[in-house]
Amino acid sequence: MKGTLSSVVIKQEWDIVGARQAGRQVSQDLGFGSVDQARIATAISELARNIYLYTEEGEITFEEVRDIPKVGLKIIAQDQGPGIKDLSAVMRDGYSTSGGLGAGLPGVKRLMDHFDLESDENGTKVTAIKWAR
Amino acid sequence: MNLHIDDHLEQDVGVLKLSGEIDAYTAPQLKEKLLSLVEEKQKVEVDLLKVSYMDSTGLGVFISALKLSKEKGHEFKLVNLQENVYRLFNITGLNEVINIENTVEGEIT
Amino acid sequence: MSSIESDMQNYKELLSQYLQTRDEAILYQAEQFSKQSIQQNISPDEIVNVHYEALEEVMPNMGERVRDSFQFLIETMIAYGLAYQEHQVLREKQIELRSEIGVAANMQETLLKTTVPSDEKVDIGVKSVPAKEMNGDYHHFIKDEDGNIGIAIADVIGKGVPAAFCMSMIKFAMESFSENEINPQRVLDSLNRVVGRNVEEGMFVTMFYGFYDTTDHQFYYSSAGHEPCYILRYDTGEFEEIDAKGLLLGVSGEVSYEERQVDVRSGDLIILLTDGVTECRVDGRFIEQEEVLDIINQFAHLDAQGIVEGVFKYFERLQDFQLRDDFTLLVIKRKD
Repeated sequence: MKGTLSSVVIKQEWDIVGARQAGRQVSQDLGFGSVDQARIATAISELARNIYLYTEEGEITFEEVRDIPKVGLKIIAQDQGPGIKDLSAVMRDGYSTSGGLGAGLPGVKRLMDHFDLESDENGTKVTAIKWAR
Repeated sequence: MNLHIDDHLEQDVGVLKLSGEIDAYTAPQLKEKLLSLVEEKQKVEVDLLKVSYMDSTGLGVFISALKLSKEKGHEFKLVNLQENVYRLFNITGLNEVINIENTVEGEIT
Repeated sequence: MSSIESDMQNYKELLSQYLQTRDEAILYQAEQFSKQSIQQNISPDEIVNVHYEALEEVMPNMGERVRDSFQFLIETMIAYGLAYQEHQVLREKQIELRSEIGVAANMQETLLKTTVPSDEKVDIGVKSVPAKEMNGDYHHFIKDEDGNIGIAIADVIGKGVPAAFCMSMIKFAMESFSENEINPQRVLDSLNRVVGRNVEEGMFVTMFYGFYDTTDHQFYYSSAGHEPCYILRYDTGEFEEIDAKGLLLGVSGEVSYEERQVDVRSGDLIILLTDGVTECRVDGRFIEQEEVLDIINQFAHLDAQGIVEGVFKYFERLQDFQLRDDFTLLVIKRKD
């Protein structure tokens, strides 16, 4: 059982803040504690910044997921950008941090409980889930 | 000890004046600078007057520069080598294939 | 997770005790707590949260602004937490890598192993020690059916794993030469082509190749940009340089190597070495060639293996047991 809670279009840098805010709102509503809220917000930042830096435009969507008795938040970041050529390279530790670009996708994977990445020349889709404790 | 690289660039000529030591730690910066200069300039001259020590990593850098200069049809030469530095070129037979001169050509300030 | 909860309880108690007593012993326990947390991979943001939650119980009325400031701090610490976790992963990878290099170094040793020929006419000793785990120096012996001995000593410019790969290639190229082909000039000519074709830009090899004719005690040799070698004359006690002109292997395919020969008399000592021996640096000062020869002279009365062991021990100690470069010293002593 799931449903879309909200979604944010990412086009400019300040849209990143908007996405964080929307994500924080839904994670509060779903009952996440303050550390998890901060983790979710950081993950959203990373995903939104990737869209802002490397593509024209993209969207971040928040969904509620249930796996009884657990409740979770699913974040989907989707763009129609050029895609990622070497997926295993971007998922390697030290790939983005060494360039000072931040935690990168491995960071998102760490912050969340579930992580999935699909990418081809038509765009990239990242799906991440965090379960409320 | 460090390596200090001074460059004097003109239209077609590039001169690098080095001072210090060329070893595994300093060679990468020399390589980067030298190769891009050999790529661009018709004539490249490296002045080693103030190089007190060079190890085999330095040789590697100059061999790469030599190869690139041949590919490009550019001129590449070394000037003012200290005796112990020249010894290395002599042992390795590189003095036969690299243009080595003891006098500085042209106006350098 | 349960351990975090019990630690959490522990932290709360420590904090409230400390706020009452300001006891140093409790600060010591806090230190222990942080060490345990590191062991359990607990990230800094989590610790801040533990502190925040503990504080809420200990000081229930700390006020909205303090509470918000903790949210602010947690937010700030998240990136540190990620960096910390990444650091842990990279550290584990480094350990893994190091052990792989250790295995590779062992393999290299096995791969490059060469047997020192035993011969009733000459006594041969060799000592080769890498500065790091992988050896960029190489030596190789071959004995033909007439009992003559081919000796190679080589140094790859460049160190570590790439140099080791290059060495293995040279070893296999040398093994493809048949026993009757071992004349120094021909060996270097064909190795030069092999290295030029297969080695990456920026990597070069120096090699000295000698052929000891045990019938008439002539030593034939060629050099590809290698450090000069020496012969110590038994009757005069003088060193003579044995060196041939020749370019490093792999720089140019158009060169041919010259071959020279030297007459070896009874008791003479041939000394082949790499620049790890002559370029050893002590307190910023280089060991002069004469000094190296002096040391060799001091040990020259020993048998061949005794000489190389003695010289190595001397230089190892001189460099505070930390070699800066791979060290290879090889000596051949005519017995009768």
